[in-house]
Amino acid sequence: MSIDWVTVLAQIANFLVLVWLLKRFLYKPILKGIDSREAEIAARMSEATRAKEKAAAAEADFVARQQKLQADQDALAERVREQAKQQRDALLAEAHEKMEQERQDTQVHLARERERFTSELYKASAETLYQLAGRALHDLADERLEEHIALHVIGKLDPLSDELASAAEHAEEAVATTHAALPEGARHEVEAALEQRVPGLPLRFATDDSQSPGLVLRIGSLQLAWTVDSYTDELVELLEERLASGESGRVNAHGG
Amino acid sequence: MQLTPDETTVFTLWGLGINETVVNTWIVMAMLTVASMLVTRKLRPDVPPNRWRTTLEVIVTGIQRQVEDISPQSSRHVLYFSGTLFLFIALSNLLLVVPGFTPPTSSLSTTAALALSVLIAVPLFGISRQGIGGYLKTYIQPSIIMLPFNIISEFSRGISLAIRLYGNVMSGAVIAGILLGVAPFFFPVVMDVLGLLTGLIQAYIFAILATVYISSATAPVHKPVKTPGHEPERGRDHHKEQDR
Repeated sequence: MSIDWVTVLAQIANFLVLVWLLKRFLYKPILKGIDSREAEIAARMSEATRAKEKAAAAEADFVARQQKLQADQDALAERVREQAKQQRDALLAEAHEKMEQERQDTQVHLARERERFTSELYKASAETLYQLAGRALHDLADERLEEHIALHVIGKLDPLSDELASAAEHAEEAVATTHAALPEGARHEVEAALEQRVPGLPLRFATDDSQSPGLVLRIGSLQLAWTVDSYTDELVELLEERLASGESGRVNAHGG
Repeated sequence: MQLTPDETTVFTLWGLGINETVVNTWIVMAMLTVASMLVTRKLRPDVPPNRWRTTLEVIVTGIQRQVEDISPQSSRHVLYFSGTLFLFIALSNLLLVVPGFTPPTSSLSTTAALALSVLIAVPLFGISRQGIGGYLKTYIQPSIIMLPFNIISEFSRGISLAIRLYGNVMSGAVIAGILLGVAPFFFPVVMDVLGLLTGLIQAYIFAILATVYISSATAPVHKPVKTPGHEPERGRDHHKEQDR
């Protein structure tokens, strides 16, 4: 066992050459490949991380948008509900108002109808009463009702002499209105009676179909009336009472 | 019995005898270089790695990991040096099983050359890392009294490296030769298998110790240095050499 120093030097040289060769053909290419692959992996990981962060951001944005959209939808739905409620209330109020208006119109119409009916009833009653009283007076006593009414008016003028004189001061004429024309004799008696109480005041006779039977005397602003209206009113009230009692009886009969 | 291949001259070149140790070293170098060239010649990022390239990557990254475990702050030059030591010794020892091939590591001249290389490389790495002043200061640590002991320790390292590797490889070859005469059909096979194992272990130990020495020279003074399988130790004079 000995050391050959020439061989030692040669082996040192061989080893250094081998270090260079392996560095040139083994370590550097292998490590370079590993480094490039690790760099590529790192780049891909970085890219994946960025993609992940981007996806997370997109997800967060999507969730935020979805929440905002949901909130907008809720707000819109609430607004629509509120508007629908207001519109419903308005329609109901309008319908109620219209119903109230129609009810009032109906009541007005009924009142007018009632008034018209009452007026016609009143008129028909007055005519009927007047015709019946006149016929009865004529048949039983051979007298005319209007003549007696005129004569009765003459009798009623005495307590009103002062009022007649006062009214005549501002009047140009006196007007005696009847439902039908008065007989000539009755006219003369009325004229004589008025001349006696209000001298010099002309009297004019007129007829009015719409007026109740009787006599209405107008002197300026003064008006004196002797008609069958009060009797007609009583007759109408009597009829209304009878009608009301008859209707109630029917209702009771149907309801009972 | 011939104990060293240095005595066998294969041919003469320019009047200089080229012995079997050198020739076999060239063979090992050629095998390593050609294999590396063949595997790495088509090394491009767009070409997927094949099994040979993957094998070399495993070997290189394994060596790199070992070096980084011992000295995290080491440069790639340490990898080139220690890795070449490991690959050369390992392949030389593995070729023990080839009939008629005498591993160059069974020559004391080869192991001495490798030990001298380590002996020279250690201060060079230390100087390149710490500068001349910083490296020389390590010889008087912890006090100047330790200077002669540190110098003796430095040389004894190289001698122990050389003798250890040579003794292990040469003894394996000698034992195999002796047993071949005693039981020619059984023991040589067992010894060759054992030789393969011990050859790899010796290559590993040699490369690791070289790395430890280099790292102790490059590491700052009193900085812990890790050794594989051991707790970190302090100082450049407290590394345990792993003997067989």
